[in-house]
Amino acid sequence: MRPLKDAQLGAFTFFASALPHDVCGSNGLPLTPNSIKILGRFQILKTITHPRLCQYVDISRGKHERLIVVAEHFESSLSDFQKQGKTASPEKVLQIAYEVLEGLEFMNKHGMVHRALSAHNVLMDCKGNVKLAKFGLYHMTDHGADVGFPTGYPSYLAPEVIAQGSFHRTDSSHDEAPLPSGPKTDVWSLGVLLFELCAGRRLLQNIDISERLKFILTLGCMDDIVTVLAEEHGCLDTIKELPENVLQLLRKCLTFLPSKRPTPAELLGDPVFDGVSCRYTPFQKPVSLFSSSLRCAHLELPEDISDLCKDDDNDYLSERAINEVYHLWCLAGGDLEKELTNKEIIQSKPPICTLANFVLEDGESFGQGRDRSFLLDDTTVTLSLCQLGNRLKDVAGEAYYPLLEDEQSSLPQSNSSNELSTAVTLPLIIRERDTEYQLIRIILFDRLLKAYPYKKNFVWKEARVDIPPLVRGLVWAALLGIEGDIQAKYESTDKDTPIPTDRQIEVDIPRCHQYDELLSSPQGHIKFRRVLKAWVVSHPDLVYWQGLDSLCAPFLYLNFNNEALAYACMSAFIPKYLYNFFLKDNSHVIQEYLTVFSQMIAFHDPELSNHLNEIGFIPDLYAIPWFLTMFTHVFPLHKIFHLWDTLLLGNSSFPFCIGVAILQQLRDRLLANGFNECILLFSDLPEIDIERCVRESINLFCWSPRSATYRQHAQPPKAAGDNGFGKAATYYTSDYQDMPKTDLSREPLALCDLKAEVSPRISAEDLIDLCELSLAGLTKRTKAGKPKIIAVDIRSVEDFSRGHISGSINIPFSTAFSPDGELVQCPATGILQNYRGRVIVIISHAMKSAAMFATHLVKVNFPRVCILDGGINKLKPTGLLTVPSPQI
Amino acid sequence: MASTQDSNSAATMKKSKGKVNSTAEKEFVFEFRAGKHNCVLKVPLQFPVQENISDLHGRLMLLHKIPCYIENDLKTYLSNFIERETILDYDREAELSLQRLTTGDGDVNQLTNAWTRSYVETTLEHARPEEPCWDEDFADVYHELIHSPASDTLLNLEHNYFVSISELISERDMEIKKLQERQATEMDKVMHELGNTLSDQDVNAVASQHFDTQQVLENKWASELKQVTGIQKHEYQEWVISLHQDLQKSNSSQITEEIKVQPSQLLELEDSGARMFEEQPQLEESFTIHLGAQLKTMHNLRLVRADVLDFCKHRRHGSGGAKLRRLQTALSLYSSSLCGLVLLVDNRVNSYSGIKREFATVAKECTDFHFPFLEAQLDEVQQVLLYARAQRSSKQKEQPEIPRNGGDDKNKNVERNPSNILPGEFYISRHSNLSEVHVVFHLCVDDNVRSGNITARDPAIMGLRNILKVCCTHDITTVTVPLLLVHDMSEEMTIPWCLKRAELVFKCVKGFMMEMASWDGGISRTVQFLVPKKQENDPHILLIVPVSGRPHCTEEGGRSNSNSPHNPNKRSAYTAGLLECGSIESISEEMFYQLSNMLPQIFRVSSTLTLTSKH
Repeated sequence: MRPLKDAQLGAFTFFASALPHDVCGSNGLPLTPNSIKILGRFQILKTITHPRLCQYVDISRGKHERLIVVAEHFESSLSDFQKQGKTASPEKVLQIAYEVLEGLEFMNKHGMVHRALSAHNVLMDCKGNVKLAKFGLYHMTDHGADVGFPTGYPSYLAPEVIAQGSFHRTDSSHDEAPLPSGPKTDVWSLGVLLFELCAGRRLLQNIDISERLKFILTLGCMDDIVTVLAEEHGCLDTIKELPENVLQLLRKCLTFLPSKRPTPAELLGDPVFDGVSCRYTPFQKPVSLFSSSLRCAHLELPEDISDLCKDDDNDYLSERAINEVYHLWCLAGGDLEKELTNKEIIQSKPPICTLANFVLEDGESFGQGRDRSFLLDDTTVTLSLCQLGNRLKDVAGEAYYPLLEDEQSSLPQSNSSNELSTAVTLPLIIRERDTEYQLIRIILFDRLLKAYPYKKNFVWKEARVDIPPLVRGLVWAALLGIEGDIQAKYESTDKDTPIPTDRQIEVDIPRCHQYDELLSSPQGHIKFRRVLKAWVVSHPDLVYWQGLDSLCAPFLYLNFNNEALAYACMSAFIPKYLYNFFLKDNSHVIQEYLTVFSQMIAFHDPELSNHLNEIGFIPDLYAIPWFLTMFTHVFPLHKIFHLWDTLLLGNSSFPFCIGVAILQQLRDRLLANGFNECILLFSDLPEIDIERCVRESINLFCWSPRSATYRQHAQPPKAAGDNGFGKAATYYTSDYQDMPKTDLSREPLALCDLKAEVSPRISAEDLIDLCELSLAGLTKRTKAGKPKIIAVDIRSVEDFSRGHISGSINIPFSTAFSPDGELVQCPATGILQNYRGRVIVIISHAMKSAAMFATHLVKVNFPRVCILDGGINKLKPTGLLTVPSPQI
Repeated sequence: MASTQDSNSAATMKKSKGKVNSTAEKEFVFEFRAGKHNCVLKVPLQFPVQENISDLHGRLMLLHKIPCYIENDLKTYLSNFIERETILDYDREAELSLQRLTTGDGDVNQLTNAWTRSYVETTLEHARPEEPCWDEDFADVYHELIHSPASDTLLNLEHNYFVSISELISERDMEIKKLQERQATEMDKVMHELGNTLSDQDVNAVASQHFDTQQVLENKWASELKQVTGIQKHEYQEWVISLHQDLQKSNSSQITEEIKVQPSQLLELEDSGARMFEEQPQLEESFTIHLGAQLKTMHNLRLVRADVLDFCKHRRHGSGGAKLRRLQTALSLYSSSLCGLVLLVDNRVNSYSGIKREFATVAKECTDFHFPFLEAQLDEVQQVLLYARAQRSSKQKEQPEIPRNGGDDKNKNVERNPSNILPGEFYISRHSNLSEVHVVFHLCVDDNVRSGNITARDPAIMGLRNILKVCCTHDITTVTVPLLLVHDMSEEMTIPWCLKRAELVFKCVKGFMMEMASWDGGISRTVQFLVPKKQENDPHILLIVPVSGRPHCTEEGGRSNSNSPHNPNKRSAYTAGLLECGSIESISEEMFYQLSNMLPQIFRVSSTLTLTSKH
């Protein structure tokens, strides 16, 4: 989005029309409220960026179908001319006409018509250039069908618009909505507007509406409409004195028959503008982050670099994008309804005064007086940026332009950086509402993303702190490594031809995160359908499983105006975290996944695991939707965002830890309840504290040896060096599968064998790494970051003395447990008790006995028990076994 | 490969639903050279084009394996073609409608009038200026005052008026009682003489004369009460307005002081209310629930055993936080968190009998300083009702083919007496003088609700749904609903009947509450479920149920005594209560706990907060 510059933020409000009572949609579901339809259709307007159009910023829904639209705004408009009663010079008229047409033509290219053109909707910026306001109203209201009021102003309506009729909601005789208007209707309105400018007075002001409209309709019989209008308003002389090209322009605009009237595009190329058009360069759309063309292709640096800094007026905030400024305005306590109420645009009566008297069985109410506060007042109110300015007055100028080259200093060095570093320690919820903190973060990420993919590592680093909500969509894309011309790829995917999956998609979409306004809007549904179909079509080896819709939801929500990016993110996410989950026969993948999950439960929380196994509450009963949708099916979007902010930073085994963290949060209730209650509890998952869940899953993740979550059906390692800007693989982010496979790695295990084992196996590599028995003597990680470990050798005393890994303790299996499964009291088990809480690695000859030993330990609630894959034999070739010096 | 004919691609384009009445198919023709071949691509397109041109283009490229070197040409041609044809369509439609006017097919006057009307009715710029509304001005003034230090004074003044009305009412009751006693003795005498000196006719004459006297007396009191309340209302409103003006004129603290002094003088009067009701021990349990699949909204539910009018009656001033409750009700009167109550009524809009009469009595105990008297409100409802019926019948005549479920017999019913309301319909009255309620929904139910087999489609249930809808649109955040859809128990309402009914209402209300989230975007609400409680000492008790009607309660209580989760204190209270109130027809305590166990199961109440130490 463009920088704010000298513009202001404006807000106006209107009501969507209420739905009829008790009407169902064709699918049997309740109808979508009109305000939500409008909200969905509005979104695309945010992407319409043109120097002649006021940038739309946001829309929000209030009570009772109220909508408030926020857009770029300027205080002065063409109606100022009219108020002064002056005529505009012919040059000015031509300039205005040309600029308005530029805006109109751009809109038409995007399939939009203004329809509400009038003097007070043609704003003037500080340089006197035209900015069209409210140009999206006709589009967002579905050509006026979703609102009760007519779009446009009586004097400016084109004759064909009048003839096509006004659709009135109380009119039962008009069942069909009026036909949508074409681009040429705006040309007529422009004609009226220009005529007013030339004549220096408003047209048809003194007669009532129906006479006005009749008059416009009768113009059809006139030969020279301009002259007739001039005569009617007593300004024939003024009009006659106009230069020929202005008159020509007026005549062309005020052509009665639409077929003879030019379109805005045609008029722009008309010779009347010969003297004007040369002053304007055609608008070029800025290149987006993901495109095939070079982003710097049109960058021209001035000869003298210092020219760039010339207009340095210290108002750095106005150099930020409009949507950023608005976002910060909201954070700084901005309240749209309050602003509008203060200006008396919103006037509400106490609800008790507007109650109906009588309501029929079908819900139709009677005796409700007409409430004047529901009438349309489309005055735009300027939102004051004072409060925001005050909040940010301490932010130094340097903070707006952080230097990225030095990767060491993460935050800009300003006098407020101390405050900011303390802010980092605050809870995420608070940070997300901190104006100053968000400003700094947004600026930083904005710059990092501009340097993407070059600054990919930096993005990773900063994302570990937090991700500002405003830029989350792009940051996620960066974390998922999206690159290339995604738009072209998306467009070349066939999203229209019917496929067998359509029916299921159609059923699922109206049930997916429908509490959200965006996703429940018809536009949201259309986009949902397209992205899902694109994914299904472009992944012929995979199929649509229910749950894919939920998985798509966060990406679509964040990239609502960029389906291609949503699609690209989803396509990158699935292989990373849900490899082969969407196979037609995915049972082996899922079964393995769930088995590893139950091993992780036993590893981290043996008591819970014992209880759940006892009552037979196995992960198959509840965890499939968790993992198949990566928790998007069970959490609302705002929680998914926080969860995924961390998930995307972790590797593919992180979801296990999230799963365990959720279970642990419900631990008390699970432990207290039997099978039936647990099923009931999970059928509608209770509220989960997501910040705690994230914190705990990170902790669990740190305690899990990497190879414990090894799955043979996980994504096979990627070809090395697949991306030039590859980030340095770290312990947490890289997958176990991505590591080079050696003799010491884990071996694949048949599912039935895996299921038989309660505790996870870890690889010899991990053991060596964690016990710091390194081969070459170099430790990759510092000691602090590692889980503490104790190796337990369960072979016989003789075997142990023949060679064992240093630091391990010997508890021969045969002596460890009493017949009733309790741990026998002896010095060795005493040591084990002392090490309770550490990761316990069971080492033996045979895997079977190790697994049994581990099972026993879990039974007596020893946490973090795992088994060495391959047993002691794996370690023999390494030469790491030591023989203790004989004790004398 | 000489030509590529595309016939399938058009089939995928969906016909837009009724929005644009004319769709036309046009053929897009594109010629290009591939090596030595001249190729022609023909695509039938449905106008107006709904889909994205880039997608269409991408699909054509893919489907027909069009060489990539003409990709850009195709795109330009395609978009130009669509743009051109769309403009032509617009022009044609536009000129058609213009022509219709010139040929006289359309009426210009009708057209322009429709435009005028839609401007006048929907836009502020063209709307007729609003006449100042006294009610709303008063509402603003009151709302401001009640949120100022003057609130105490206002409440005390209101209470003062209340006391004088109460005195009047007790005087009336005394007089009526005396008359009744006198008449009874007289009647006794007459009866004694019956057969001797007097005949049946004479007895009847005496009886009718008694009745007349009683009527006259009652009317006299009624008119007196009306007059007094009228005067009170007038005085009060004037006082409020003048106080507000004073406050505005001189913003000094002096007046505030004056106001503050006043109440102490009034305090003495507080205990004089003779006809106020004793605080009854209520049984109640509260729950917090979270509704919604992913995004959850918190609501509060309360199960209360109380009489429906307990929410309306004023209790003794100063006892049990009655004054606070009064203040709370006054503070929120013009706010956006109102309290509503569902009252089940029969099909006539009046206050002559049953619960309607009782309610009217309660509503008259205190002057309503803000809204018209109940009778006036009901009169208005009558008017609106007749208007609504007229509207409906004229609409139905227009579209007779629309089938309504069971509409036929209903229509007959309406035709019989259009001023009666039907089950499921309700009228609304507004009150400022009830203790905990601002809005009363008078929901019409018939005898059907007493039977055991009503379903979720029953008019009464649909009425509940509409009530909740009104709650959404008018910011009524607390609503009280009779759980069993009856106000008093009778013999046929056995324990299974109660459980079945409670389950139905719980489930339906849960469904409606989830639906509400989509109406209002998930606002936290309080729903109170009311189960009947009639007290022995309630003067309004009309129906006394024989003791034989309730043995099941005792049985039930005895049986599940052993596994009852409740503390022994409550248990003994129950037994004592049973002994004490042989003729009370209410839900037993045991029943109440069964219902309160059912509620969390249906609403999936999140369990009580468990506080644990960090582990």
